[in-house]
Amino acid sequence: MIAAGAGHPRSPRSKEIRRHALIYLGLAPFLVLAVFPVFWMAITAIKQDPDLYLVGAAPFWFRLPPTWKNFDFLFNNTFYKDWIINTMAISFWVSAITILTSVPAGYALARLRLPFAENLGIGIFMTYLVPAIILFIPLARVVSTLDLQDSWWSLVVVYPTFTIPFCTWLLMGFFKTVPFEIEEAAMVDGCGQLGALCRVVLPVSWPGIITAIIFSFTLSMQDFLYSLAFVSISDQKPVPLGVATELIRGDIYFWGSLMAGALLVGVPVAIVYNLFLDKFISGITGAAIK
Amino acid sequence: MTQLAGGDGRSPGTSLSVPVSGRVGVQAWWRTPTARRYLFGYTLLAPAVLYVSLLVGVPFAFSLYLSMSDASVGNPVARFVGLENFKAALENATFYTAVRNTLVFTVGAGILKGLLGTTLAFLLLQSFKGRKVVRALLVIPFTLPIAVSVLGWKWMFDSQFSVINWALSRLQLIGPYGSPDWPVWLGQPGLALFSVMFVNVWRGFPFSAIVLLAGLTSVPPEIIDAAKVDGTTFMQRFRLVIVPMIAPILFIGSAFDTVFTLSDLSIVYLLTNGGPDAATEILPTLAYNTGIRAGALGRGAAISLFLFPLLLPAMILLLRTLRRRQY
Repeated sequence: MIAAGAGHPRSPRSKEIRRHALIYLGLAPFLVLAVFPVFWMAITAIKQDPDLYLVGAAPFWFRLPPTWKNFDFLFNNTFYKDWIINTMAISFWVSAITILTSVPAGYALARLRLPFAENLGIGIFMTYLVPAIILFIPLARVVSTLDLQDSWWSLVVVYPTFTIPFCTWLLMGFFKTVPFEIEEAAMVDGCGQLGALCRVVLPVSWPGIITAIIFSFTLSMQDFLYSLAFVSISDQKPVPLGVATELIRGDIYFWGSLMAGALLVGVPVAIVYNLFLDKFISGITGAAIK
Repeated sequence: MTQLAGGDGRSPGTSLSVPVSGRVGVQAWWRTPTARRYLFGYTLLAPAVLYVSLLVGVPFAFSLYLSMSDASVGNPVARFVGLENFKAALENATFYTAVRNTLVFTVGAGILKGLLGTTLAFLLLQSFKGRKVVRALLVIPFTLPIAVSVLGWKWMFDSQFSVINWALSRLQLIGPYGSPDWPVWLGQPGLALFSVMFVNVWRGFPFSAIVLLAGLTSVPPEIIDAAKVDGTTFMQRFRLVIVPMIAPILFIGSAFDTVFTLSDLSIVYLLTNGGPDAATEILPTLAYNTGIRAGALGRGAAISLFLFPLLLPAMILLLRTLRRRQY
């Protein structure tokens, strides 16, 4: 027995190594495809300008020493600081509006057994699929009627049109998982319906509410069309629009600063989104696998 | 009656405050716990429903009206012009190019995302060391804000300093800069359409893979094992067992992807803005350039509404899948 075991000690292990090698080999092209553009943007952001335009030697590493000059330019010669503040302010207000409307709505749809609740829920969710490209022209009128054109407040009004449907749907699914008993217990103890919601259901629902806040942020950051259509004053723009429109002057592209400005905000968003991606996927498909 | 219809024991209100006998006839219907629960519920729903109706429903109806008027940015008093805008669009050669490109773009990118996504999903389904890290890296394209990554691609597609061309030329696949086989990705009609499609595929394939993976992991392994025992091949199992089981999730995933691909303006706008010579013009860029840039709101609204029949099948598919699910 022992001899037989010692005769082929590596057989299962080397099989395992072969399997791993095959999987990594299959994954490698996908990994290069996914990661290389980000690497390329990052290295462009900290290269000196002449280094970008050197022909000949391999461009994948530094030929001149790296520099923070592009970031300096961004903060001192453009409205980048304003763009960041605008983006933060927009996301904050959009999240506030979204939470204040979609938490009660999601709760009502999930828990109160209202007639038509299911269809109403699907109806609200379907509006998430009405794309900006159909709505941006009529919304341009709404924005100018509210006298918000060329101000980032126009985006605060408009972004909830996609965050409310998505977050209501997400929270509806979430509230369905909170046990009914805790609510009933609260009402036995003398809470009204509203009291039970505020004192018992909401405190145990914070993971769902935080998820909804995260998505209000990340979905707002994904927009380009609305900001392009409604905001054209330099210091009112959010980061993605500002970077894409203000760092290109005529035919001159400030590539280093463009990449620096794009990644400085893009990477944190991507990381947060990455952590919550499964929630996003189950938010839109959870209904199908439940 | 109302009271009885709503009471099923789990109802928070009914089980508490209603003595079972005697008061049914006395109590006004709007005082019954069920009615109060409805009132409470619809009050909670009202803000969300109002917001969405006012800023999605009303604008949608308004865009139908705009599309039949000669409204423009400088002209607030619009005149009704009937189907004039739609007719004008149909008489414009660029419009047909845009429709064709939109279809090629959506279908072509959809097929590529499906193929890449399926391959990747089966790779990720295996257990291997570093799976979580690999997955986190692979979804980067989908999680980066779209305008951010498109700018990166614009730099990679640069006509002279493209890193792609540098690599290709070092591999002797293309000539040096200036030679006729040096590809100008965003400047040559066929290549430009391919390039914008490629960026869409790059952004979308992780989404396809993750959605598919979510579906695949929801299939109970016993069912696959049972099919294996019955002597099926991998392809048979895939076609006859896995696909039917994960169909709902596939429908939802592809409905979302189709809607987002059809309606996305940013890739084409930032890379080529429809050029060269309308080679990459799609309905969203045409609608934006007509409606906002040129200020012809009515025209623009009409063009964007042509997207609606293209979007409708995806939305109906989604609606039917959502309504058919089981509780």
